[in-house]
Amino acid sequence: MNENLFASFAAPSMMGLPIVVLIVMFPSILFPTPNRLINNRLISIQQWLIQLTSKQMLAIHNQKGRTWALMLMSLILFIGSTNLLGLLPHSFTPTTQLSMNLGMAIPLWAGTVITGFRYKTKASLAHFLPQGTPLPLIPMLVVIETISLFIQPMALAVRLTANITAGHLLIHLIGGATLALINISATTAFITFIILILLTILEFAVALIQAYVFTLLVSLYLHDNT
Amino acid sequence: SDGAPGPGHWDADAAAGGLVDLAVPGGAFSGRRAPCLKNPVLGPGVLQAIRIFHTRQPSLAPIPCVPEYGGKVCLGLIPKEFFQFLYPKTGVRGPYVLGTGLILYSLSKEIYVITAETFSAISTIGLLIYVVKKYGASIGEFADKLSEQKIAQLEEVKQASIQQIQDAIDTEKSQQALVQKRHYLFDVQRNNIAMALELTYRERLHRVYREVKNRLDYHISVQNMMRRKEQEHMINWVEKHVVQSISAQQEKETIAKCIAGLKLLAKKAPSQPVL
Repeated sequence: MNENLFASFAAPSMMGLPIVVLIVMFPSILFPTPNRLINNRLISIQQWLIQLTSKQMLAIHNQKGRTWALMLMSLILFIGSTNLLGLLPHSFTPTTQLSMNLGMAIPLWAGTVITGFRYKTKASLAHFLPQGTPLPLIPMLVVIETISLFIQPMALAVRLTANITAGHLLIHLIGGATLALINISATTAFITFIILILLTILEFAVALIQAYVFTLLVSLYLHDNT
Repeated sequence: SDGAPGPGHWDADAAAGGLVDLAVPGGAFSGRRAPCLKNPVLGPGVLQAIRIFHTRQPSLAPIPCVPEYGGKVCLGLIPKEFFQFLYPKTGVRGPYVLGTGLILYSLSKEIYVITAETFSAISTIGLLIYVVKKYGASIGEFADKLSEQKIAQLEEVKQASIQQIQDAIDTEKSQQALVQKRHYLFDVQRNNIAMALELTYRERLHRVYREVKNRLDYHISVQNMMRRKEQEHMINWVEKHVVQSISAQQEKETIAKCIAGLKLLAKKAPSQPVL
């Protein structure tokens, strides 16, 4: 092994130039603009998927929440496509970087909270105290709710980072195990390879699910606050 | 127009002739056939390279057609034009030998190192190939069905509009036909009125006749009555005077004569048999 386990998570640079910007911008060219009334198959399927997702996701929101439709749909498309592209061999996944996920989570969460405080101040403050708490517990509960509110962006970012990073690491490790076992016992290596295939299937699912979860939670925070 | 290369392939002549006009403002190449564009491998790249972006408003019509099929590929990656490019020099097996040689060279010289990533690459790419081979056609059909539904919806709107107008035309035509037949109605009404007038005329005529007859009957009956009265008067006058003229003696003589006659008759009667 001439590279350590975490080399694939280093920010890629070519001759000292950070090309991570190019990598982050790359998924956008995989979603072509529909130019015509009847498009090619790729665009038709993407249009259908986006319609399906947006209808389901924006159903719970009122008029004010639906102004966030573009934001939420872009979010789920970006995270989903970035995660899926990261499963290709020798590729870099931007969502493994905590910096990027924090950069997505904190502004969105802050946007929802500030919207809530700006337009429905009393209701937003009322969120800090659940209904029907006994009187002596109130101060402690307010503190707990405040902490739970401020942990939301951290949880969003860390959840995404941890899931994707853990998945990539597992694939890397089990691939390494297969490589090491080939010289020792071919059968065990084959079993390990089967495990790798199953894990890859899981990772495909996880890539999409994490995108969905991220966007869903932002949408929920929005729903609370509009 | 489908030439020798077939639909969806790199049509060198069309590219050289048609699309070059778009590439340069003013169509400087419109008179010539650029030879660099005829090369099937490098042609598309050259065309894109010499395309000048955003020098003027993009022409929105006519937009070029979307080709129906993608370019033909071998092993899912390498376009068939590459194989044709190598064919004159190396024959059919040339490109495959080239590919195998490149792979073996990179492996043996450790240009490509077999690491853990190799196995994850095998598993990921293998999975992707399996999914594409198994479900690719059905997903393509699904996408075609989506387009089909969209077109069908619009077609339905168009057909509904045409049908509506057709119905309006038919209604108008039937209305016009009805107008042509209106004269029957008027004839019937005219006949009705004529008959009614005739009836009234005859009725009045009959009444006049009856009235006149009444008057004349009256006069006749008056005349008859006068005559009868005159007759009776005359008869009474004649009777009265006759009776006055008969004296008492004449009356006795007449009665005695009648009695004598009757006696004679009575003598003659029993001699005749009774029938």
